[in-house]
Amino acid sequence: MALVFHRAQLAVPVACMLILGCVLPLAVLVVFSVFEVDLDAFTLVPAFSGQSWVQMFTNPVFAFLIGKAVVSGAGTAMLAGFIGYPIAVSMTRLPVLWKGVGSIVLLTPLYTGEIVRIYAWRVVLGSEGLVNAALKWFGVIDEPLKFLLFSPFTTHLVLLYNNLPFMVLAIWISAELIDKRLIEAARDLGARPIDAFFKVILPLTTPGLAVGVFTVFALAAGDMMTPSLLGGTSGATPMAMIDNLFGTAFDWPLASALSLSLLVILFAFATGFVTILLRFDGARAVFRRGAL
Amino acid sequence: MSRLVILTLGLAVCFFYLPIVVLGIFSFNAASTMAFPLSGFTLSWYADLFGNEAFLGGFVTSFLIAQPVGLLGALIGLMAALAVTSPRMRLRAAFAILVLVPFLVPKTVLSIAQAMLMSWVGLGRGATALILAQTLVVIPFTTTILAAVMVRLDPRLEEAARDLGATPWQSFRRVLLPQLSVALSAAYSIGVILSLADLTISMFLAGRTQPLSLIVASEFRRELKPDLNAMQVAVLVLTALIVALTEINRRRRLRGRLAHVRDDL
Repeated sequence: MALVFHRAQLAVPVACMLILGCVLPLAVLVVFSVFEVDLDAFTLVPAFSGQSWVQMFTNPVFAFLIGKAVVSGAGTAMLAGFIGYPIAVSMTRLPVLWKGVGSIVLLTPLYTGEIVRIYAWRVVLGSEGLVNAALKWFGVIDEPLKFLLFSPFTTHLVLLYNNLPFMVLAIWISAELIDKRLIEAARDLGARPIDAFFKVILPLTTPGLAVGVFTVFALAAGDMMTPSLLGGTSGATPMAMIDNLFGTAFDWPLASALSLSLLVILFAFATGFVTILLRFDGARAVFRRGAL
Repeated sequence: MSRLVILTLGLAVCFFYLPIVVLGIFSFNAASTMAFPLSGFTLSWYADLFGNEAFLGGFVTSFLIAQPVGLLGALIGLMAALAVTSPRMRLRAAFAILVLVPFLVPKTVLSIAQAMLMSWVGLGRGATALILAQTLVVIPFTTTILAAVMVRLDPRLEEAARDLGATPWQSFRRVLLPQLSVALSAAYSIGVILSLADLTISMFLAGRTQPLSLIVASEFRRELKPDLNAMQVAVLVLTALIVALTEINRRRRLRGRLAHVRDDL
C-alpha cells in the first residue's frame, strides 16, 4: 500500500508536542505525589508513600482553598453571564461594517499583560485613586472607601474584567448563528422584545453560554496573580499554595497532590455546569439542527 | 440601532478601557504619587524610561522571546487547524480537547508541573524552556483563529486544483496558503502579544532570563512609581500598533480581493 500524505496526519506531530509538553508533566504529578522528600539533601526520593495524600485529605486548609477557588470561579462566571448577555446581544445589532471594529475593541484589553491590568486597577481603586477622588468631588463620601482595594470585591471585579471578553465572544458568536427570521416571527406574532429574548434568543444561545461559563470558570478559578496582588488578606489561592510548596517549602509531593486535586475538582465542576446548561431545550434544538 | 444598544455598548467600552485610560493620564501627570487631583503635564516619566537600563534590557529580552513564540505558534497552529478542519480527520473531538488543554489548565499549575518535570530529568530552565512553554499556551489561540478561517473557505477551489493535477503540496502552496496569509499574520501577532503579556509562565520557567513582565512585577511589589505608568503605556501602544497593523493588512487584502472580483465581473 502506498503511503499517501493527507493533512489530517498533521495532527500527529501536534498531538505529540502537546502530550509531551502539557499532558506528560501533568501525568507525572501522579508519580511525584507518592514520592518522598529528603530534606537534608534537598532531593526527591522515589518511593511509594501515601503521606502527601493523607495530608491533602486531613488538613482542612487544602479543601478550603480549593472550595474558595470553585466559589470564586463560579461567581465570576455567573456575573460574566449576566453582564455578557446584554453586551453580546447588542453586538449582534451592530451594522456589519462595525462588527469587525467591535471585535477588536472587545479583544484589545485581553492583550494587555496581567501585570498591566492589575497595576491599572490599583491606580483606579486606590484610596487616592479615580473612584475615591470622584466620589469625594461629588461630596458622596468624606473618607476614602477602603474596601475598594485589597478585598474580595477587588479580586472579583478584576476577575470579571479579565474574563468578560471571553463570555461576550462566546455568546455573541452563538447569537449571530440564530436565524434572524425566528426573532422577526416572534415579534410579528406580538412578542415584546423582552419576550423574544427569553423565548428565542436565550434558549438558542445556551450552547454559547455553556462555552463561556466553562472558559470563564476555568480561567477565573485558576487565576493566581489577581487575588494575590489585589485581594489583600483574602487573596490566598490553591495556586499560591502550590507555588509556596514547590518553591519555598520544597514539598513537591504535596504540591503535586494539591495540583491534581485542584485539576480534578475544577474539571468536575466545569463539566457539571456545562451539562446542566446543555439540558435546556434550546441547546438540544441547536444541536439537532446541527448549527453548532 | 436603538438607544439601548448604544448605551449598553458605551458602558461596556467604558468598563474595558477605564483602567487603560487612567494609566495613560497618570503617565503624563507631574507628580511622583499617583493621586487625584492631577498636578500638571510632563513628559519626564517617558524621559526616565529611556534612561532605565533594566527596563530597556527587559524589553529587548521580551521582544526576542516573543518572535520565535509568534512564528512557532503560527506554524503549529496552522498544522493543527489543517488537521482539525480536514474531512478525513478521525478523533476530531479528542484532538480539539487536547489543543485546548494549555488554555484551560491553570497556567500556574501547568508551569509548575513543567518546571518539576524538567528539573527532575535535569533540563535547565531558561529562554528555550520559556519559548517552548509559551508556544504551547499560544497554540489554542492560533489554532482557533486559523481553523475559523479555514472552515469558511470554499473546498471546491482545492478540489479543482487537485483535479487539474496539482500535488497536495502544490494545491496547499498555491491555493490554500494565499487565502490564509491574513489569518497567519493574525496568529503570529497573537503569539507575540500573548508572549509579551505573559507573567505566570515566566515566573516559573524563565530561569535567569529576565523578561520585562518579571522586572515590572518585582518593581510592583516594592512601590508604584509613575515611570512604571509610562512603561505600561509604551507596551500598550506597541500592542495596539501590532493589532492595528494586522487589521489594516486584513482590510487591504480584503479590498484587493473585492477589486479583483469587480474586475472579473
